[in-house]
Amino acid sequence: MTLWKHEMKMNLKSLLIWSICVGASCFGCLLLFKGLESTMDEMAGAYADMGSFSVALGLDKVAINTVEGFYATEVALIFAIGGAMFAAMCGAGILAKEEEGHTSEFLSTLPMGRINIVGAKYAAFAVLVFLFQVICIGWILVGFAGAGDFPPAKEFMMYHGLQFVMQLEIGSVCFLISACCKKRQTGAALGLALLLYMVDLMCRILPDIKNLKYITPFYYSNASDIFTDPNPEPVMIGIGMAVTLACAVISGIVYSKRDLAA
Amino acid sequence: MGNVIEIQNLTKTYGKSRGVNDISLTVEQGDIFGFLGPNGAGKSTTIRSMLGMIHYQAGSIELLGLDAKTHQKDILRQVGYMPSEAMFYPSMKVKDVIKFAADARKMNCDKEAEYLCKKLEVNIDKRISELSLGNRKKVSIVCAMQHKPKLFIFDEPTSGLDPLMQEVFFDLILEYNKQGATCFLSSHVLSEVKRYCKNATIIREGKIIATDSVENLSHSDVRHIKLWRNGKLEEFVHQGDINELLQQLQGTKIDDLLIEQPSLDEVFMHYYEQ
Repeated sequence: MTLWKHEMKMNLKSLLIWSICVGASCFGCLLLFKGLESTMDEMAGAYADMGSFSVALGLDKVAINTVEGFYATEVALIFAIGGAMFAAMCGAGILAKEEEGHTSEFLSTLPMGRINIVGAKYAAFAVLVFLFQVICIGWILVGFAGAGDFPPAKEFMMYHGLQFVMQLEIGSVCFLISACCKKRQTGAALGLALLLYMVDLMCRILPDIKNLKYITPFYYSNASDIFTDPNPEPVMIGIGMAVTLACAVISGIVYSKRDLAA
Repeated sequence: MGNVIEIQNLTKTYGKSRGVNDISLTVEQGDIFGFLGPNGAGKSTTIRSMLGMIHYQAGSIELLGLDAKTHQKDILRQVGYMPSEAMFYPSMKVKDVIKFAADARKMNCDKEAEYLCKKLEVNIDKRISELSLGNRKKVSIVCAMQHKPKLFIFDEPTSGLDPLMQEVFFDLILEYNKQGATCFLSSHVLSEVKRYCKNATIIREGKIIATDSVENLSHSDVRHIKLWRNGKLEEFVHQGDINELLQQLQGTKIDDLLIEQPSLDEVFMHYYEQ
C-alpha cells in the first residue's frame, strides 16, 4: 500500500496533464458539433460515400450528423489515441524509471519483495488508467450537455469499458517492456500504440490482413462498431484480457529474476 | 557470539566479466568489519548479492542466520543499508523520503529520525533535487539507521561527507554498535578502517586475499631505513627480522639512524599489488 500510494502521488501530475489535454480536446470537439449541426446533413452523405476511407473510420456505419455518430467517428478517435498513448507511457515508465533514476537500490533494499513491488506498481498503473478514463468521461459528459444531446447509455458505457480494456492491454505490454529494461522506453511505447492503431485502420480496409484484428486492441474497442452493435466479439476481448494478464504475470517473473542496476 | 554474516564460496559473474570468485567470509555479531579493496575489486557485487539485488551463480549467503535467497524480506527488515550513490526521488521532500522508508518497514521511526536529523543537521523540508551529494548521503544515513537495525551495511559511506559529518557518522555507528548492532563497512579509505574497524577483509580482482584483525593486517615487517654514514645519507627498505638488520649494522660507524614503519596506505598498497 505504501508503494502504491507513492506511485499514485508520483504520477498524479502526468495523469492530470494527460486527462485534461485529452478530455478538454474531446469536450471542445463535442462543442463544435452544435456549431456544425446545420451543415452536417450534407456532410454525412459525402463522408459515408468515401470508400475505404469511410470504412476505416467507421463513417459507413454511423451517421456523422447525429451526436453519437459524431462522437463515434470524430471524438472517439482523439480519445482512443490519447488514451492509448497515456497508458503506453505510464506502463513503460513505472518500473524502468527506478533503474534509470538510480533509485532501484533504495527501493529494492526496503523489505517489500520484488513481486510486491511489481504488484503495487501494476495496481497503481491500472488505477491511473482508470482515473484517466473517469476524468475524460467527466469532460465528455459536460461536452454532450453543451451539445444538447446524449448518446445511448449502454453503447457509451460499453465503449468506455472496452477502451479501458484496450488501454490496459497496451499499457501492460509496455509494462512488460519496462520490467525487462533498465531505461524507460517511452518512444517505443508511443510507437507501439500508434502502430496498433494503424494496424486497426489497415485491417479494416485490406481483406488480406483482416486477421490482424485479433492482434490490435483498437479493433474490439472501435467506437463505430460498438455504437452500431454493442455486442462485440468475445474472442477478441478474451485475447486482449489474456494478453494483459500474461504481461502482468511475466513482468513479475522477469523483474524478480533479473539483476537490478544500481 | 554467533556470526551475523556468513558467505561461503560466493561466485558471481556478469556474462564473461568477473564479479567475485569463490569468496568466503564471516562477520561476528557486534563487530565493525572493514571490507577493503580497490575500485572494481568486487565489493559492491558482494554487497548487492547479500541484499538480493543481484542473483549469484554459486555459493551461499546467510545474514542474521537467514538464507539470503529465501528470506530476503526478513533480512531486509533487520538491515540498514547505505548505498555508495545515495539517490532518491528528486521531486520528493526529505521528510517524505524518510517517512516512505519507515512506512515501507511498517514502523513508526519518527523519534529516531528526528534525533538523527538533528545530529546530522538534515533540513527535512528541502526537496531531494536541491541537495548536494553530501546532504543526500545524510538522508541515506537517516534512512539506514532510523529503524535501529541489527546489521548495518555501508558501501563507501563517507564519500561526499565533510570531515565533521564523517565524525558524527562514526559516532553514530559506535553508538549503535554499543547497543549490539553489527557493522559491515565497505571502503577504500584506509584511515577510517584502521580507526574504527576491529576486523577486515581485503578483496582484489574478485578474490579475498586477506582476512584478519585490522591490527594484524596493518602490521608489516617492512621498515624504511635512513642511515647517515661518513656524512652521507643512505636510504633502503628492510624486510624481515629486525635483528638481522642490527647485526648487519654492528661494527660500522653510524652518524645517525632512522627506522620508520611504512604508512598504512603503503601496507595496504602492498596487498593490492600482490
